[in-house]
Amino acid sequence: MAVKILIVEDNPVARSFLCRVVRESFSDTIVITEAGDLETARRHVATQSGQSAVAPNDPFKLVLVDLELPDGNGLELLAELARYPATKIVTTLYSDDDHLFPALQCGADGYLLKEDRFEVLVEELQKIVRGQPPLSPAIARRLLTHFRHGAGVTGGDAGIAPLPSGLQSSRPMPLGKGAPLDHERLTPRESEVLTYLSKGFTIKEIASLMGIKWFTVNDHIKSIYKKLNVSSRAEAAVLASKQGLV
Amino acid sequence: MAVTTSGFGSGDFSPSLTTPTLSAAAADSAFDTTLLERRVSGDRNLTRWMGWRLRILVGAALLGCMGLFLLARWLVEPPHIDATWRPNAQGQIELQSTADPLLQRHLGQALIGIVGGDVSVAVADALALQRSSRWLVSDSERARHRAMHEQISAALSQQHVKLFFSDGDMVELTLPHRGFASLGGMFWLLSALALALYLVAMVVLLAKPTARNLLYAVMSLCQTGNLAFIAVESTLQLALPKPFPQLDMPMRMAFDLITAAAMINATCLHPRRLPGAGWIAAAAWAAVGALIVLLAQGELSQPWWWSQGSVSVLGALAIGLLTWSYHIEPHPYAMVLRRFGVVAIGTWVLLTFALAAAEHAPGVQHNIASIGSMIWYVFLASLLLLVPFLSKSQQIMREFSLLAAISTVATSLDLLFVAVFSFGQFASLTLSLFLSLGVYAGARQWILNQLLGNSMITTERMFEQLYRIAREVEAHPERTPKLLSQLLRELFEPLEVVVIPRESSAIRVVADGSAMMLPVPQLNGEGAADAVDPSRSIVLRFAHRGRRLFTSEDARLADRIVEQLRRAVAFDKAVEQGRSEERARLAQDLHDDIGARLLTLMYKAHSPEMEEYVRHTLQDLKTLTRGLAASNHRLSHAAAEWKADLTQRLTAAHVELGWNAAFDEDVLLSVVQWSALTRVLRELVSNIIAHSRAQRVEVDFLLEGDRLDLSVVDDGVGRNPRAWSHGLGLGGVRKRVKQLGGEVEWRELAPQGIGCRVIIREFSARD
Repeated sequence: MAVKILIVEDNPVARSFLCRVVRESFSDTIVITEAGDLETARRHVATQSGQSAVAPNDPFKLVLVDLELPDGNGLELLAELARYPATKIVTTLYSDDDHLFPALQCGADGYLLKEDRFEVLVEELQKIVRGQPPLSPAIARRLLTHFRHGAGVTGGDAGIAPLPSGLQSSRPMPLGKGAPLDHERLTPRESEVLTYLSKGFTIKEIASLMGIKWFTVNDHIKSIYKKLNVSSRAEAAVLASKQGLV
Repeated sequence: MAVTTSGFGSGDFSPSLTTPTLSAAAADSAFDTTLLERRVSGDRNLTRWMGWRLRILVGAALLGCMGLFLLARWLVEPPHIDATWRPNAQGQIELQSTADPLLQRHLGQALIGIVGGDVSVAVADALALQRSSRWLVSDSERARHRAMHEQISAALSQQHVKLFFSDGDMVELTLPHRGFASLGGMFWLLSALALALYLVAMVVLLAKPTARNLLYAVMSLCQTGNLAFIAVESTLQLALPKPFPQLDMPMRMAFDLITAAAMINATCLHPRRLPGAGWIAAAAWAAVGALIVLLAQGELSQPWWWSQGSVSVLGALAIGLLTWSYHIEPHPYAMVLRRFGVVAIGTWVLLTFALAAAEHAPGVQHNIASIGSMIWYVFLASLLLLVPFLSKSQQIMREFSLLAAISTVATSLDLLFVAVFSFGQFASLTLSLFLSLGVYAGARQWILNQLLGNSMITTERMFEQLYRIAREVEAHPERTPKLLSQLLRELFEPLEVVVIPRESSAIRVVADGSAMMLPVPQLNGEGAADAVDPSRSIVLRFAHRGRRLFTSEDARLADRIVEQLRRAVAFDKAVEQGRSEERARLAQDLHDDIGARLLTLMYKAHSPEMEEYVRHTLQDLKTLTRGLAASNHRLSHAAAEWKADLTQRLTAAHVELGWNAAFDEDVLLSVVQWSALTRVLRELVSNIIAHSRAQRVEVDFLLEGDRLDLSVVDDGVGRNPRAWSHGLGLGGVRKRVKQLGGEVEWRELAPQGIGCRVIIREFSARD
């Protein structure tokens, strides 16, 4: 059976470039659906799964979303797809944490920088799908602040940029109150990994510093991603139900 | 005069700025809280006691007015001759002017006798015109003066009098009552001054009935008495009504002596309590008391000399005490009072000697005794009037000082001319006025500086300071008290500036003008509310190194300065915010528009070189826009990102990275520094990836004591760096390094490879 992939990107040249990257990355038979804006993307997701964006019969396995789209921000789509069982990747020109961190919070499983070379992109994409998401020092720093202050405590928290318009106003605040839940806390090892990452150490260096295997470090990173996603998915679910999407 | 710091007593009188941890020290010794405390609590009590004090004050004022009215009433009661008299060249009493038609014929003739009823008085000389027996030097003259006044007033009280003139004529007059109008302007002026002094004394005493204020009231009331006597004496025509001639000498001497003793007592207590104050004061009071009793009983011969001498000695002693007090604690009040004291006592001594010198020239002595002494008492009275308001306004003080200086110089010159050169009264007055005006014009600035310590920093410099501080306050709101203290220190040159943990609502002058207290302002808006403790105050003590008092003008000035500082900070902030908003918008536009186009261009590139070139441009654009959007970057964060970036790129090119970054301080990089270093590093590494075929790159980043040392070493095939064409890449590196104020050089390494070294000696200089 063909693997279904959705690419949401408004620039046709970039879209075809990303198609090339995707085809190069996987050996499976691939069916690529392209969308130039949020509206089209939503339609594709909806028709394909009937009414609900939650439990489709034959879902997309991979969704690439550009952040800047003509009719809105890619984050909106990410939030709507919070419980959609696909690997979601943000493709963007912005490499700074101000743009990427909210994307990770909205449930992205990784990000690709569009200006990277073809080979680099292929490699990065494969890594994400394999479960080795990238984590730049700036984002690692941001994650540390985020988890230190307790996940979900948004508001005026310096560590978290408010989501773009539309999401901010309806953001559920009560979730952030009280002690953070278990899935919102980092283990000491995860904190350590994040701290090293924030100082610019590579995964290999961290592995040797901590005396563990590199894939263990990777597992920690994956787990951190998950914790961030889980905490934000809960929020996203509430958000989605409020908007009548669920 | 020299201010010696050795006399400061306790060592904690440090002029340095004390840190906020001072609370304990401030409470006991470093800051003399008693002065401040009394002031603060006094204000609170004032309202509670205001009721009955106000009533007493109104009562006292009514009493004063009533007294004045009764005095005037009593003066106009006895019959009088409607004429004015003056001493002539022969020392006789000459008829100067009159409205009485019977007397008109005798204008310019001398009066030689008065007969009224059964009393007949032979008028031999002009002694009767002498206003006060207080200022007659010899005992016999005084006795004669008193007797003559008694006789003349007895004769005049008969209503029908006969006046005998030097040309042998006799005029018989029926005397009318004296009207209020005939009392003359001088009487009313002096009475008004006396009344004012009396009221001020009452206000001061009732505002705070302390020992010091009581002493002030005693001095003022004595001088009120003196002024009342002088006012009454100014109405003299031929004789003063009973019982003035008898009372004049003893009472006025008593007033003078009591004032002197009170002055000694006051200087013992104020501005600070001197060691052995009680004993000194008691001795002064005992001596004065004994002297008054002896004088009243007539036990002492030459009572005039006794009283003049005692007042001079006590005055000198008071000046000495003030000097001592200033050495113990350089309270500017002591300094100001001492200046006034020197002037007052100096003129007193001068007056005394002038009178003594003119003893044998009755006309001259007459002038000095009536005019000179009157000026001196008026001067002293105005001094006393001024004292409670010394710290209230600088303007009054300045004007008064000048007035005092001119009148002192004029009076002394006048006295000198009259006494020594025997000039006529008018000639000497004119001459002395001219001379003193000349002296005043020449010495005005000097007097002002001496009296007020007029050494403010220039306006220009102050503005410069203000804006510098505004910028610093904006960056570090927690330094506000320190910076503001610095500015105020330059402005007022106080001996001491402290920040105390006490809340104050507004800027005010406290402790009789020796200190000024202002709340630490929150200059940085609400955002920095945690950074500044609102419950702290800056206290400045002893303006102009202890020579000047703080005035309400100073408080206003400080208030304005704080306001200006607040505005400057707000302005700076608004500008900064506007700039960063503008930059962020620009960055967003650049990134979105140009970035998207470059990306399209990159995907469509026909050759890998072109693609790489555009990618490079795109990365530069991203660096640029990020630099624009963010204001500054912490070095540790930047270094982490550099490392991650280089690792990724070198790994993709299969080159190993050796990274070593060390810095003694995690500084904040400015936008320029961050973007320049980012691009230099990227450029150097790009160059290595593109040309060197290196296996390994070593990057050493070292920031030590403001010296930045960056070296990028490869083991590639590059040779002879001098021959490289410095195209866009390396030219860019040179440009960036120069922008940071540093140097860059490339050299060959053995056995192979190229080392690039960037050195910036003063990294923070181009912030």
